[in-house]
Amino acid sequence: MSRTEAEKPILRVEGLTKRYGSKEVLKRASLAIKRGDLKVLIGPSGGGKSTLLQCINFLVIPEEGRVWLEEREIFHHRKKELYQFRQKVGMIFQDFNLFDHLSALDNVRIGLVRVKRLGKAEARARALQELERVGLKDHIHKYPAELSGGQKQRVSIARALAMDPSVMLLDEPTSALDPELISEVLAVIKDLGAHGMTMLMSTHQIAFASEVASEFIFMEDGQIVETGPPLKILSDADCDRTREFCSKITELYNTSF
Amino acid sequence: MLEGLTIVAGALPYLLGGCVVTISVVLGAMALGLALGIPLAVGQVYGPRWVRAAIGVHVWFFRGVPLLVLLFLFYFGLCAFFDLNLTAFTVAIIVLGLISSAYQSQIFRGGISAIPQGQLKAARALGMSDAKAIRSIILPQALRLSVPAWSNEYSIVLKDSAVAYALGVTDIMARAHFVASRTYQHLPLYLAAGLIFLVLTYIGLKALKILENKVRIVGYSY
Repeated sequence: MSRTEAEKPILRVEGLTKRYGSKEVLKRASLAIKRGDLKVLIGPSGGGKSTLLQCINFLVIPEEGRVWLEEREIFHHRKKELYQFRQKVGMIFQDFNLFDHLSALDNVRIGLVRVKRLGKAEARARALQELERVGLKDHIHKYPAELSGGQKQRVSIARALAMDPSVMLLDEPTSALDPELISEVLAVIKDLGAHGMTMLMSTHQIAFASEVASEFIFMEDGQIVETGPPLKILSDADCDRTREFCSKITELYNTSF
Repeated sequence: MLEGLTIVAGALPYLLGGCVVTISVVLGAMALGLALGIPLAVGQVYGPRWVRAAIGVHVWFFRGVPLLVLLFLFYFGLCAFFDLNLTAFTVAIIVLGLISSAYQSQIFRGGISAIPQGQLKAARALGMSDAKAIRSIILPQALRLSVPAWSNEYSIVLKDSAVAYALGVTDIMARAHFVASRTYQHLPLYLAAGLIFLVLTYIGLKALKILENKVRIVGYSY
């Protein structure tokens, strides 16, 4: 790969805007992510982080804005292209959203069988591989109701990985988890990052994020206020609003970064 | 009293023969109701406005006109008008099936609406089209949830099937009436008919209860 190729963004969004009635919940958000980046969205709840992530794969249709994956623009009304695009953009939800009527193995398998149209044996083998990767080899036949929150989230990560995504979008992956279950999910995410997966994640786990992120993106009131390296944003941000938010965070952690 | 019981005992094989007719009508109607009810429900939840309006009209019509009126309308009215050569048995199944489809569509619509939004989101996020997502993720769950309400619909259709006697279908009710009008033993015969229906209801509900337990999603709570 030439130097210029390596620098081209894998995912680029420009001017994403979402309105509900008269309320603008996302205001002209733009960002670009290069291969291997782990960018983290931080900011107060209701700031538009979740809306931004769901607009990127058009689970929420934005009023304005454009999205490019690997330099190709995506038009959401072209259904076939949209479905292909979504295969390449894995999404992890705060509420896991596992398919309740299917075992862990079938949850990971169904995308391979129904969407990628793999043969049964091939799909099973791939699903097993991904579940092993997230450490759930012994739980493959369990149903979501029988799994802990951390296990459910790891299944959902396996399910997304099985589709061979180019990018992963993670919408507060640990916010619904009990504290003692958070670390097992963070470990999987850290491992993914170490293996070069490109990720855009929103989270309140600031300490973890500052360890793994290449960039923090601070969002408030639907706008991207400031972006920069984690340490800069946390301790020496340019904007007042960023400083205000981060000072409260560091207070909470009773530490300085 | 004794004479009544003797008459019933003698007529029992004949009465029970009506079970075959009744059960066939009920199975046919439930199947038609199911085959139509599912697409109607999906259309009502996910369809564009005109589809939802059209389905609304279908549901309103078949829930709003009495069964007896519809049976006569179809059999003596429409069949004659369009010169259709359908038996009373067939018309009974069609009419009961259409009525049941209206009620069943509302049962499945409730089941579909009870599925959390996140299920469809996750399916879409994997790259599934809405049609695939509805078929593989939403309906399997919604139908399982609908079994209790569906067994209620079965008991209603079973009871309604007795009205088909008015078209001349030789079901349990028709046969009980036939014997009663010849022997004047009305009370014992209609009691027997009622009992037979009760037993059929009981058997069907038991079977559906077994089905409900078999397809129950592990750990599901609503």
